[in-house]
Amino acid sequence: MKRFLWPVLLALLVISATPAHAQKKVKVVTTLTDLKSITELIGGDKVDVTSIATGYQNPHFVDPKPSYIVKLSRADMFVTIGLDLEIGWVPPLLNSARNEKILKGGVGYVDTSANIPLLQVPISVSREQGDIHIYGNPHYWLDPENGKIIAQNIYEGLLRLRPEAQGYFTANLKKFNDRLDAKNAEWEAQMQPIKGADIVTYHDQWPYFEHHFGLNNAAYMEPKPGIPPTPSQLAKVIKIIQQRHVKVIVVAPYYRPNAANLVARRTNAKVVKLASSVEAFKGINTYFDLFDYNVKLLVDAFGSAAP
Amino acid sequence: MHLRFFRRGGIVFVFLLYTVTVAQAQVSDSTAVADSLLIQDLARELGPAETTANPTPVGSVTRNAPTLNPNISMIGDFRAMYQSDVARNVDAQLHEAEMGLQSVVDPYARADFFISAAPDENGDIQFELEEAYLTSLSLPHQLQLKAGKFRSSFGKINMIHPHALPFIDIPAVYVNYFGEDGLNDQGVSLSWLLPNSHFFQDLTVQVTRGPVGGVGVYTHDNGNQLLYVAHLKNFWDLSENATIELGFSGAAGPNELGRTNWLGGIDFTYKWKPLQFNTYRSFTLQVETFFNRKNVGPDARINTFGMYALASYSLGRRWLVVGRFDHSDLPDNPSWNENGFSTTLGFRTTEFQKIELGVRTSSAQGFDQRYQAILRAVFVIGAHGAHAY
Repeated sequence: MKRFLWPVLLALLVISATPAHAQKKVKVVTTLTDLKSITELIGGDKVDVTSIATGYQNPHFVDPKPSYIVKLSRADMFVTIGLDLEIGWVPPLLNSARNEKILKGGVGYVDTSANIPLLQVPISVSREQGDIHIYGNPHYWLDPENGKIIAQNIYEGLLRLRPEAQGYFTANLKKFNDRLDAKNAEWEAQMQPIKGADIVTYHDQWPYFEHHFGLNNAAYMEPKPGIPPTPSQLAKVIKIIQQRHVKVIVVAPYYRPNAANLVARRTNAKVVKLASSVEAFKGINTYFDLFDYNVKLLVDAFGSAAP
Repeated sequence: MHLRFFRRGGIVFVFLLYTVTVAQAQVSDSTAVADSLLIQDLARELGPAETTANPTPVGSVTRNAPTLNPNISMIGDFRAMYQSDVARNVDAQLHEAEMGLQSVVDPYARADFFISAAPDENGDIQFELEEAYLTSLSLPHQLQLKAGKFRSSFGKINMIHPHALPFIDIPAVYVNYFGEDGLNDQGVSLSWLLPNSHFFQDLTVQVTRGPVGGVGVYTHDNGNQLLYVAHLKNFWDLSENATIELGFSGAAGPNELGRTNWLGGIDFTYKWKPLQFNTYRSFTLQVETFFNRKNVGPDARINTFGMYALASYSLGRRWLVVGRFDHSDLPDNPSWNENGFSTTLGFRTTEFQKIELGVRTSSAQGFDQRYQAILRAVFVIGAHGAHAY
């Protein structure tokens, strides 16, 4: 009996000494709530995620408050949309974060724009064109197909930090992709009746959504990106809405809808406040909810619009 | 005998096995870094995911035109002004043209250079190196080291370049104690992000050589007296829409008599900026107080005081109105003081251009009431600067 004491003790010790350094959750800070949602879906219980921006504020103009620096200084991973969407506020935060892991090139830096097929990549750039994004339109998370690419980039980031949890993350990624495919089939079916419809948007932030669901952007309320609507632009938009029988004007939750309401009153179009990000409105808690909400709202708006 | 050896050997063997297993866990941390780089390389080699029907438009350039050039920007500050108590009442001037060159040096540090061209009293354009410093990116223990020529971390306004301020005239207390151009010196600065998980606390300590030709309370000493500046910044979120900042500043350094000048300051800022509509509305209340002790003799000192209080309100995406009250002694004379009131209306066409109209009235003992009006246009080209909070 004593003969077996050592081997048994040995076995028990080895089992108990299996690498346990990964118990600590990966502390992730994301710029947007959409990235937070996807990180949580891939990372599961191995991540602790906070988002700097809320879902209902303008992601171009987040104020770089020092309180965000505290979170960033303790983060293991930083996830950003990239393409200069956050160029007004992320650089000063990262420069003061005292955390080299999350700087560009660091092991914890994840730019989810890698491999995204971009829309509106300018051939020449000048600020004459307004507040243009020189690498392409950065609002790419609004095409659910891009959700898979975002998830893949986040997945690779998590693998760098927790390679031993690869099986877990891979299973979650597959679950995410499968669910996205299934939900996407639903969304496309629901949007089928309004495929090809014209819409007007306040800011040029919906091209990926429009491209995926086959909507046409007839006009923008902003004369140029970043320039508030001018009377002449509103007149132009009203004419376009009347000529092309546009039924819907899309405004993100952080723009005052005054100008859009004015145009709606002069035409038959409806102002629709779509969710630009997860948590834009109550009940939109995940990346899937985002499209559930937007698809339903749009379909209802078209359904109830005057012919 | 044989069995005891086996038992002892077994204990040692098990201990070694345990140690190796635990060490293995640590080693996999560092190999994770090497693996991560490998994964990145592989991802690049394997190319982008299968694209569906929508490639980037024909004729488009590469995604990130890579360049190692620094971020270059140029800022112009042009003014037209009226002042009541001078020979020429109405004048106009290119107040400053400032070039910024900023970039990461290597994974360990970044560098920032600011070269400024401005007319002197005779109207001749003089070039000056406004700031040039190296900042560390990867020190441990939440430290950050800065070395070079920089604006000192005293109070709330000194570090900000004048064109970035929401008002045109500098508060009297700054002009009287630091000079029109602020406290700007050469040396090192160490800042420490305190291990406080509840609110932001940053302690900065600076040692600089003493400003040459200083027009304020501090000057350059030819001996061993250096200028020391410290600043503790505390920042709280009251809610998602409102914040409070409380700062304590202190400076000690040589004055023109070769004696020590002590300067203490408290700054308080309340800012309300509703998160959802932060581009439309904001309100700021800010107060700063300076307490100065100038040693002028073996047992003689002059204690003076200065302060300003401002309130600013944004009236929409592009309009900002600021009102400010100034009160200031002179460092040499506590019984003399000046009071001023100014208001500035600013219009921001975009993030890259603004026009402001500032009107100021000030009174000081022995002087007539002075009236000033300044129209300022600030415009920037080049790299997108960061927004301030």
